[in-house]
Amino acid sequence: MASNKKYWQSVEELKESSIVETLQKNEFVEEIPTDEFLGDKETLESSSTSRRDFLKYVGFSTAAASLAACEGPVRKSIPYVVQPDDLIVGVADWYATTMSDGFDFANVLVKTREGRPILVMPNKDAGADVNARVVASVLSLYDHKLRLQEPTKGGSAVSWADADKEIIATLNSLKAANQPVVLLTGTLASPSTEKVISDFTVAYPNVKHVVYDAVSESATLEAFEAMYGKKALPNYDFSKAETIVSFGADFIADWQGGYEKSYISGRKVEEGKMSYHVQVEANMSLTGSNADKRIVAKPSDQVFALINLYNAVSGENLPSKATPIDNQIKGLAKNLKKAGSKGVVVTGINDKNAQLIALAINNCINSQIIDTEAVNLTRQGNDTEISQLVADMKSGKIKGLVTYNVNPVYSLANSSDFTEGLKKLELSVALTTQKDITSTLTQYALPAPHYLESWGDVMTTKGVLGLVQPTIQPIFNTRQLQDVLLKWSGSSLNYYDTLKEYWSTNVLGGKSWNQALHDGFFKTDVFSEEEVFESLVNLSSVATELTKATQSSGYELNLYTSTALGDGKQANNPWLQELPDPLTRASWDNYLTVSMADAKELGFDNPVKDNGAIDGNYADVTVNGVTKTVPVMVQPGQAIGSFGLALGYGRTENLKDEMQVGVNAYPFYFNGNNVQYDVKIEKNESAGWHRFACTQVQKTIAGRHDILQEASLKDVLNKNLDPKHTWNQPAMVSYDHQEVEAKTIDLWDDHNREVGHHFNLSIDLTSCTGCGACVVACHSENNVPVVGKDEVRVGRDMHWLRIDRYYSSKVEDKQAEAKMTMAQFKADNPKIAGKDIERKYTEKVLELSGGDLFDALENPAENPEVTFQPMMCQHCNHAPCETVCPVAATSHGRQGQNQMAYNRCVGTRYCANNCPYRVRRFNWFNYADNNEFDFNMNNEYGKMVLNPDVVVRSRGVMEKCSMCIQMTQATILNAKKEGRAVKANEFETACSQACSTGAMVFGDVNNPEDKVAQLKEDRRAFHVLDYIGTKPNVVYQVKVRNTNEA
Amino acid sequence: MSSHYESSYREPLILGEKSYHDITEDIARPIEGKANKNWYIAFYISLAAMLWGFGCIFYTVGTGIGVWGLNKNIGWAWDITNFVWWVGIGHAGTLISAVLLLFRQKWRMAINRSAEAMTIFAVFQAGLFPIIHMGRPWNGYWVLPIPNQFGSLWVNFNSPLLWDVFAISTYLSVSLVFWWTGLLPDFATIRDRAVKPFQKKIYALLSFGWSGRAKDWQRFEEVSLVLAGLATPLVLSVHTIVSMDFATSVNPGWHSTIFPPYFVAGAIFSGFAMVQTLLGVMRKVTNMEAYITRLHVEYMNIVIILTGGIVAVAYATEFFIAWYTGSPYENYTYLSLGAEAGAYGWAFWSLMIFNIIIPQILWIKKLRRSFIVSFLVSIAINIGMWFERFDIIAIVLSKGQLPSTWWRFEPTFVDVGIFIGTIGFFFVLFLLYARTFPVIPTAEIKTILKSSGENFKKQRAENNEH
Repeated sequence: MASNKKYWQSVEELKESSIVETLQKNEFVEEIPTDEFLGDKETLESSSTSRRDFLKYVGFSTAAASLAACEGPVRKSIPYVVQPDDLIVGVADWYATTMSDGFDFANVLVKTREGRPILVMPNKDAGADVNARVVASVLSLYDHKLRLQEPTKGGSAVSWADADKEIIATLNSLKAANQPVVLLTGTLASPSTEKVISDFTVAYPNVKHVVYDAVSESATLEAFEAMYGKKALPNYDFSKAETIVSFGADFIADWQGGYEKSYISGRKVEEGKMSYHVQVEANMSLTGSNADKRIVAKPSDQVFALINLYNAVSGENLPSKATPIDNQIKGLAKNLKKAGSKGVVVTGINDKNAQLIALAINNCINSQIIDTEAVNLTRQGNDTEISQLVADMKSGKIKGLVTYNVNPVYSLANSSDFTEGLKKLELSVALTTQKDITSTLTQYALPAPHYLESWGDVMTTKGVLGLVQPTIQPIFNTRQLQDVLLKWSGSSLNYYDTLKEYWSTNVLGGKSWNQALHDGFFKTDVFSEEEVFESLVNLSSVATELTKATQSSGYELNLYTSTALGDGKQANNPWLQELPDPLTRASWDNYLTVSMADAKELGFDNPVKDNGAIDGNYADVTVNGVTKTVPVMVQPGQAIGSFGLALGYGRTENLKDEMQVGVNAYPFYFNGNNVQYDVKIEKNESAGWHRFACTQVQKTIAGRHDILQEASLKDVLNKNLDPKHTWNQPAMVSYDHQEVEAKTIDLWDDHNREVGHHFNLSIDLTSCTGCGACVVACHSENNVPVVGKDEVRVGRDMHWLRIDRYYSSKVEDKQAEAKMTMAQFKADNPKIAGKDIERKYTEKVLELSGGDLFDALENPAENPEVTFQPMMCQHCNHAPCETVCPVAATSHGRQGQNQMAYNRCVGTRYCANNCPYRVRRFNWFNYADNNEFDFNMNNEYGKMVLNPDVVVRSRGVMEKCSMCIQMTQATILNAKKEGRAVKANEFETACSQACSTGAMVFGDVNNPEDKVAQLKEDRRAFHVLDYIGTKPNVVYQVKVRNTNEA
Repeated sequence: MSSHYESSYREPLILGEKSYHDITEDIARPIEGKANKNWYIAFYISLAAMLWGFGCIFYTVGTGIGVWGLNKNIGWAWDITNFVWWVGIGHAGTLISAVLLLFRQKWRMAINRSAEAMTIFAVFQAGLFPIIHMGRPWNGYWVLPIPNQFGSLWVNFNSPLLWDVFAISTYLSVSLVFWWTGLLPDFATIRDRAVKPFQKKIYALLSFGWSGRAKDWQRFEEVSLVLAGLATPLVLSVHTIVSMDFATSVNPGWHSTIFPPYFVAGAIFSGFAMVQTLLGVMRKVTNMEAYITRLHVEYMNIVIILTGGIVAVAYATEFFIAWYTGSPYENYTYLSLGAEAGAYGWAFWSLMIFNIIIPQILWIKKLRRSFIVSFLVSIAINIGMWFERFDIIAIVLSKGQLPSTWWRFEPTFVDVGIFIGTIGFFFVLFLLYARTFPVIPTAEIKTILKSSGENFKKQRAENNEH
């Protein structure tokens, strides 16, 4: 850089005048000690570094040093040294396996990436029926906080070998002394495990196997045994039913494992059939909200009504009592008789006698819907044996206890007796996946693997088996139950070999094991047995006993399992905690549901706060002397005099602080009975207000009925009716003084859809039950963050997909008051067209009954009809969000999606404000790696569930449903790689894939063979808010109710 | 601007026995003298508020927009309310200096300097909000159409927010130039009077070498007229464009073709109210009673009644049309029975009372000539106009098209802190301005002294020269 040029500063210098020299010499008054300072003169002179260069060096090195000081975050990624044969980095592997945790059983497909499962989906080939908990179970695998990682003894770590040695020694000494030992498990429903257990009891004849279900169906098992001689649950095929009458059985959700899929299969409008479903219930359940007719009755009335129904159907006269709903029961009896063998009655009352009556009615009408041969094996818990066990433990009769994946200390009503008994044991071992309270009280806590790390088989229905296979190397130092028992019984075999051998000898019948493992399920008739059984049930004494046991005075508590948490096994799963209840839309909580009338009487209220959140009073609930303070949620449709409370909440042991929500209702669950009579409920004034976290505040649709079109089955099946002028009216606008369909008028040019794919999603509101599996699937597939209770409370949930719930409004109540139905009004006023009718009718009715318009439209009826509407980005062809973004961060894709470029987003939130569907979600904070949001994205284990195909969004950007563009692109690329066109119906999104009932259908409307192409043109198809002209790519199908009958 | 003849029956615009020199002295006094205690008290309070606001802004930028009270259904609330409020306030300045200049309204001379200063300072505050309301303000420059290396990324010219960027920045620059042009001869006066060398140097720089030659004056007059012509359309354009943030959306209550004129009227309404507020204080603090007279106050109040009336008619139209559509989606717009009966009934009534009912007292001549009444009414209008924007934004967003998305908004301390901070920032600027700038255009006001000065009028009356 040095320059050899010589610059002269003045003419004098050029002339070499003496003045210059003098001046140069006098430049510094004092000699500057440069020589001293710079040292060796010779080297300095030979250096060519000028002052300018020096400054350049200084500047550069300072900049370099300071840049080097700001080190970027180091992320280590370790490549495979030897790539596993069955794994290609970046390509997902799917495995078929079966979930069984004692409460939820489902055939599933598991998506793994780089050896870790990231998504659980239903195995549709196996006809799987999955709920939100099954989909969310993948996150529980990575729950390092709650999962037991090491064998422990008295709280301190112990090696498996030492634990084995000590336990075997104790077991042997107990065997020698012939002291009873109990193996306590949940419902395993696993034939090979039963074999292992029976081998174990051969090795240790003093061991007895007791099955314990936290949420019991014991009464049904006993009733069925009394009637049919087998301890099992009957199976139901609701798909063939014409009339379904349910007395408090929430069979869409968790009742006896759930029958969502088969129920909806019987309600496919396009196939011209639809069952008539009447729900008699106290709590507003998922099933009741889907029913064609919902009759409100408190549990005691349900019992008498059930007997009355039997009497009406059979013509017998069993002892009963009159109920307020007897008139409707008579109508039901007629319906049932008409349906004959296509009718069915179920009841959720966990009382042997009530179940016997229900079975008797089904017998009476010779129901073909109930299946007593291929029985349901998903609940095998025996309440009698459990109470015996607790009593024996307390009295010290039992010396040893080995539990497997049950948490009786938490879930037994008399858990203090159990805890007391535990202390008297010589040997207590908890083999468990979770560090639950039971495992902290036993001598040994041995870690069991999650089902995604295990081998096994499951037989949920007799003759239908599912195989369980590991999808990941065990994360922790775990060993599964079967291996433990084999080891303790001295066998040298491992469970995998045992399982394979069991299957080849007992199940497969020569068929391929690999094929069965690949499919994940196997159907066989080797388990069917012909036996003749003579029932000795005397119905009259049954009815007498039942009548006597049912107290009709006092408040009644109806315990239930919530959609999100079920029996509470996955209480530490943030996806489930954040999943709103389909009806109350409250997340992170359980609460006492109270009818509007009782709330008024007892002084309960749910005020909406200024920040949009809902508060609630507290109630003191006393059952059998046990009192708990529970927050209250006023629930439209709750039977007067009855109260609901969800089980599965209130767990604390080793749960994250954020997850320790709700109240444990198991202490009320006496004798495994979900109905408790003579309950005392009082307002607790001193407890103040409870802070709920609801995702929806407004309960009704406020007169905006075109958002969610409904029709009766009769109208829909009537081919003479033009839906456009009757039950599925599109929005109309005036154009050139002509009323035309709004969608024909356009401000914008249409997108060119001639080539390529054009994605549409169809959502059938008739098939959607509101179960929420899609919501969790969306969370799982798209790395949607969990924000926690406080943030949900103030309306900041990040759900890309939500299920809106609307109750019918008070207008319904008013119309009864005014004695004028809509049909009548329509007939009287033939000139009032289209959507005006609703408004005019409302005004008319209100005038008659002297009501207030806003009050009547905004508040729900006492017993409202319920509708669910899954709502996600509608991918409008003319999207309001796209035009307003100043930086064009959201724009339209060639395939119909409205795309969101996260990197480009500056976060003005204008798009969200201009979205009429309000489906856009803003990252208010950093939700990943933030201790304020200590959920799965804040630890290394939880992050393993993240989908590597989807970016984790940073704070300050908008996000929303992408129509799973990573999935559609993968499908396209696969087809391309295989050199073929994409097949019909090959495209899926996470929500459509997770939907067991087929309510959500995704596909390419440019492919006429895709199902969605037809659905888009269906008579029932409509777009939400079509009057705006957004032209969405999400199409809804009109909700149909079978209101023809009754 | 020659001094035309003005009837002696007209009220004088300059009170007292003032000579040209008196005017110079009066206006230069606050700059050359020492500040009194009141000024310091006001300044420190404003400074404290400003620093608190800056703290809240840093907290927001450092933590996330989540520290505000917004939620999934209400994406804007106080941020854009404050933005529109400040922009609206900024409107009076240009109107007074440009439009009234073109209409040759002499009374504007007493107030235009401060009104324009207010405009510029208010636009500063307004400009803050679109930046800090972004989730990622550090990428805020992406809204500018600058060539970049991110690929072929360009801004979206369909977006009203982008129009805002252009509208506000144009408005700010034209206002600033216009203001400064007017300041040049006055700065030169201060420069010439300055005794301290530093002060002299600063004012010399600020006055851009004004020499007072006839050529200077000629150019000054020409530029003033040209800039006034340029600025006049801006009076209409800025708030028209701001209103399009709402009007071009699809939300019932926002999607309204009446918005542009209605917003412009509202902006002038609020701008004049803010001028009243500021001058009410300033004429006392800086002893400008002789120049800012009852007549000025009355004239401004007349403008307020006029624009307030337009606003009232707009409200009535909105209310009627929403009801007349018969659409259930219009049941809950910010001007509807649904809003009145709903959770934001108090905000609805605040708007009605502060913006419509209270200003009606200005119809009474005695009241609109009262300094104290005008001051109080102006405060009420400032509040009312804030509520207008709050109602438009928060009430409309709180009742979305799908009832499942109905929600409410509650501000956090950060929302409040930032708003107070901008008020503090505004007053810090204004107080500094009042001490360093000639608050009344000295050169201009001198042009009307002989025609509209009280003593000259008296003289003429004595001489029977009507």
